[in-house]
Amino acid sequence: MKPAPFDYYAPASVEEACQLLADAGGGATVLAGGQTLMPLLALRMSQPFVLVDITRIRALRGVSRSGATTRIGPVTRQNEALADATLQQHQPLLVTALRHVGHHQTRNRGTVGGSIALGEPAAELPATAVALGASVEVRSVRGTRTIPAQELYFGPYATALEPDELLTAVDVPEWPAGTVSLFREIAMRPGDFALVGLTGALTVADGVVTRAGVAWFGMGPTPIKARQLEAALVGQRVDALDAGALTELAIADTAPFDDLHATAEYRRTVGRRVFAAALGEALNLRKAA
Amino acid sequence: MDDARPAATTGRYIGQRVARKEDTRLLTGRGVYVDDVGVPGMLHVAFHRSPIARGRIRSIDLSAARALPGVFALVTADDLARFKVDMLSFFLAQPVVPVPVLANGRVTYVGDPVVMVVAQDRYLAEDAAGLIVVEYDEEDPVVTLDDAKTGALVHPDTDSNVAAATGAEELDEDLEAALAAAAHLETLAFRHQRISQSPMETRGVVAQPHGSGELTVYLSCQGPQLCARWFAQALELPQTSIRVISKDVGGSFGLKGQPWREEVAVVLGAMLLRRPLKWIEDRLENLTAANQAREQEITLRAAFDAEGRLVASHADYGLNNGAYPQGADSNIAVMMFLWGAHKLPAFSFRARGWFTNTVGLAAYRGPWAIESLAREVLLDRAARRMGIDPIELRRRNLIRRSDQPWTTPMGLELTDISPAECLDVLLQKVDVAAFRAEQAAARREGRYLGIGFATYIEPTAGSTGVAVLMSESAHLRVEPTGTVTAVVSTHSQGHGTQTTMAQVIADRLGVPYEHVEVYEDDSSRGGYGSGAYGSRQAVAGGGACIRAADLLLARIRESAAHILGVRTDDIVLRNGVLHVTGDKPQTVSLRDLADIAYGDPDRMPDGHAGLEAQYRYRPPPITMTSAAHACIVEVDAQTGFVKIRRWVTSEDCGNMINPAIVEGQIAGGLAQAIGSVLMEEVSFDARGNPTAVTYKDYMLPTIFDVPEFEYHHDASMPSQAEGGFRGVGEGGCIVGPPTLVNAIADALIPFGELELELPLTPARLLAHIEQRPEIARPKPAEASEAPAPAADAPADPVPVAAAAHNVPAPSAPQEPFAPASGARIDGGWKFVLSTPMGPQAFDGRLATDGDQLSGVFIMNMDEAHFTGTVTGNQLKWDLKVTKPMKITLKYEAVVEGDTLTGKCKMGVFGSAKLKGERVKG
Repeated sequence: MKPAPFDYYAPASVEEACQLLADAGGGATVLAGGQTLMPLLALRMSQPFVLVDITRIRALRGVSRSGATTRIGPVTRQNEALADATLQQHQPLLVTALRHVGHHQTRNRGTVGGSIALGEPAAELPATAVALGASVEVRSVRGTRTIPAQELYFGPYATALEPDELLTAVDVPEWPAGTVSLFREIAMRPGDFALVGLTGALTVADGVVTRAGVAWFGMGPTPIKARQLEAALVGQRVDALDAGALTELAIADTAPFDDLHATAEYRRTVGRRVFAAALGEALNLRKAA
Repeated sequence: MDDARPAATTGRYIGQRVARKEDTRLLTGRGVYVDDVGVPGMLHVAFHRSPIARGRIRSIDLSAARALPGVFALVTADDLARFKVDMLSFFLAQPVVPVPVLANGRVTYVGDPVVMVVAQDRYLAEDAAGLIVVEYDEEDPVVTLDDAKTGALVHPDTDSNVAAATGAEELDEDLEAALAAAAHLETLAFRHQRISQSPMETRGVVAQPHGSGELTVYLSCQGPQLCARWFAQALELPQTSIRVISKDVGGSFGLKGQPWREEVAVVLGAMLLRRPLKWIEDRLENLTAANQAREQEITLRAAFDAEGRLVASHADYGLNNGAYPQGADSNIAVMMFLWGAHKLPAFSFRARGWFTNTVGLAAYRGPWAIESLAREVLLDRAARRMGIDPIELRRRNLIRRSDQPWTTPMGLELTDISPAECLDVLLQKVDVAAFRAEQAAARREGRYLGIGFATYIEPTAGSTGVAVLMSESAHLRVEPTGTVTAVVSTHSQGHGTQTTMAQVIADRLGVPYEHVEVYEDDSSRGGYGSGAYGSRQAVAGGGACIRAADLLLARIRESAAHILGVRTDDIVLRNGVLHVTGDKPQTVSLRDLADIAYGDPDRMPDGHAGLEAQYRYRPPPITMTSAAHACIVEVDAQTGFVKIRRWVTSEDCGNMINPAIVEGQIAGGLAQAIGSVLMEEVSFDARGNPTAVTYKDYMLPTIFDVPEFEYHHDASMPSQAEGGFRGVGEGGCIVGPPTLVNAIADALIPFGELELELPLTPARLLAHIEQRPEIARPKPAEASEAPAPAADAPADPVPVAAAAHNVPAPSAPQEPFAPASGARIDGGWKFVLSTPMGPQAFDGRLATDGDQLSGVFIMNMDEAHFTGTVTGNQLKWDLKVTKPMKITLKYEAVVEGDTLTGKCKMGVFGSAKLKGERVKG
């Protein structure tokens, strides 16, 4: 470790943290689990003037329920979330996604809020938040606001959070009974960010899709909400669903690009297959159940 | 040389899977790596590096960095000008182009060190490095092999971007005719991507000067003895003043065979500033500024008769040397071993290493490994096209034990290789017919299984032709306390030579393994050796330990016999206890004997104190290891992902010291092979910027990507070396890639012949499956294409004597051999011959008598006399040599003034440039 100099604060309250962020005038970075930030600091690829370590703010940790919403404190470690009974019962898609986040060792440190606030476009949690219609609560000395996850991401690592704002909660709506999860990830190695990833939920009532939330990761500069697919799915009878016929719509909203590991064409081709397989699997599971 | 072939042995310890001596220390965090070293008064180093691949340094502004409190010094090339430094190759040869320790006027790759910052701690050093402002006149870089052939000169003072060349510049007409006339001609052309050695422990050094002009250098390296010698020779320091200490090492894989620019800068900085300095390479530096390997292109043609027997072959090969290779190289070993185990009547090649504006070339586990990849992939393709089973095709061409001795067209004398026999063993373990049935059934379900085979031979523990790799030493002593201390010139990179050497010594001596401690970490102890290099430690180090143990045992028995008044033959040392048989049966502990040896030497034979012995062992010139591997994969045709389902190895590494360590070596090499084939790649953009600079983008295989391997050891043929051991350090990394490639190609054959574009990423494999063009890659040049030298670089140095003066050749054709009136030939000359092992400098004398030439070369306390002819200023002579092989060297040269320019034709190895400067006065 040989980061550039910074002032380090470990506030005990959200108010204190927000004041520190405000005082830093945009020069502060929030440290949570550090699984991305610490290597960047060590290599001096990130050089903040002020580091605000929020891991000692107890109020930002843990899972709670309020009405039909699950609230996850952003400093909740990913492995804590994985083992959380409330999430297992009410947010099965999120738990599935968490299993694909990094490795057991990194999940011991990495936080749910850290992953969602970072905005890695090939990461599991931001896309899952988008798919489920989650929102984040952010606070600053200027006040509190709520940002829907689907409005949070502008580009790789670029979010709607202002430099003085702190993510204080992730609110995930609980989907009704009869909801099935869609989740598939294609990565170079287990634990890597996705080459192609699909995450989503479908609610089926009386054999008809009543609600659909689907998002892609690794398929563009941000998590990509599959709006056209969702629109096409809602109202369809499940036994009449033809995954093959929906594949073009499924990837219609994506904007993949070439990088060192795969081409855009690869991502689109595999994306179609990932969607068809995930949908087929979800509906089969439902039939079996 | 030792001719007696020892019997196959396993003993109390040799051949056993004993627990490693290193493990307790390493697994409990008590290892001592360079970063664990701290010395009083130590300062810390960071480098300011070039952000561009090529350009001239216009200015360096150090003012802001200098003003930073805690900054001790800012060192540039100007500050190091007082030191004379020759950045020698691993073979201790002079560099082909001078290698500056820090960038001197020009930068030649992204990451080129420009300023060394010395500060109170690494944080401050990095802060200061960030405040340095360097202005450049940026130039278009030469990045790829294609760039090197057509682009500007990487080093302006050279006459071409060819760093090294071997083989024939022109195609051999007879060979071409044989290729053209054969029943079947197979051509394989591909590029091997660049690889980072990626040791878990990066490079690192602590240099500690002492008042008397002495230096202690803590270095992460492959051998402290060789590195101490390198420092002494490169810096022209007395070797007694350099002590290299290298305790634990977290892998090197060829990168740390010798110190390079940063390590040398730190050592010079410590001498300059008279302070201890420390530099630990970070991962960003390791992936961008540490030397790298592989990046090669090859076009291999092989012709077969109608029965599939090899008729002739030609290889055209290019190797990216980067800007400052650790020894300019055209990789002659590729050509030596390409068909080294095959019955091939005729072979020729052209091999060239090219300078580019990228970080330099270093070794990587099996530096010549592309020979196996090219050969084995070509054999599979040829087999498919000829309709011959790929195993059968190999059997028809491999040299079997019964065929040996056998001399290859490259002069390799084979006596005990066994790849065909290893393949026989392998096929007892792998039911190919059953697999083919399973494969056919799977294909009907849309599942694509494939099987791949490869065989290879590996030269290990060489002791010929390479002066730094001749012998290893072992110094043994029974301590006064009765335990055994060994100082050996081996060096563990984490792979357990302290264990294996202790096994050998304990076994041979007859003492408990626990009573033997092995030290190999300090150049000031023991004797010279190269350490972890060329798969030599079991063979050369093990042999040294056996011989030294035998000497020590003789001393022990003689001493005990003398003291007890019994016959030496009546004494046996077993488990640390001397058992006396005969008239006076009794037992004496080794400790009791040692007590007398050190405390009461009057009772010893001849009154000599102590129980000590040492031996320097030179193994046979080369010890061959053979193997055959098979791999079964499933390729997901939906995603292009490869799943390795089974991997079976069958090798002959002679007698094993420790099968667990042998298997660790094979597995480690195979893990790297899997990485090379499926995911690893050092890549650059068009401006020479590295684009995979962290482990997020430089993909190493993880535990999820590496299967459990099945091992089958054939120790039925011990080697000629003491102990019968064969080296096994590099093999997995050599035979692994073709095994896996062949399996993938076999799986995907329903979609046509797989184009070999490394790494075989899911995207590339899916493109093949779906017949889409994927990422475009520059194709290796066709062999038939004429050499394409840079515009101002003559392909043939002989006719253009002016090249030796570094002036451009005149544009009008020059009469090449026009007699220059009054050219003076007679007298003393200093010659430099650019051999495949690097430039070789020597003295000589030439004398003329009419049209007769006589002369002598003087090198290494030896003289080689020759006679030849003179025509004007044109000279010709032949020189017969026997080492490293029997060959007639044919020299041609022209003399212009005080300069001699010419070439030496080395048979199949091609031509080497000869330059001479007249000795004045």
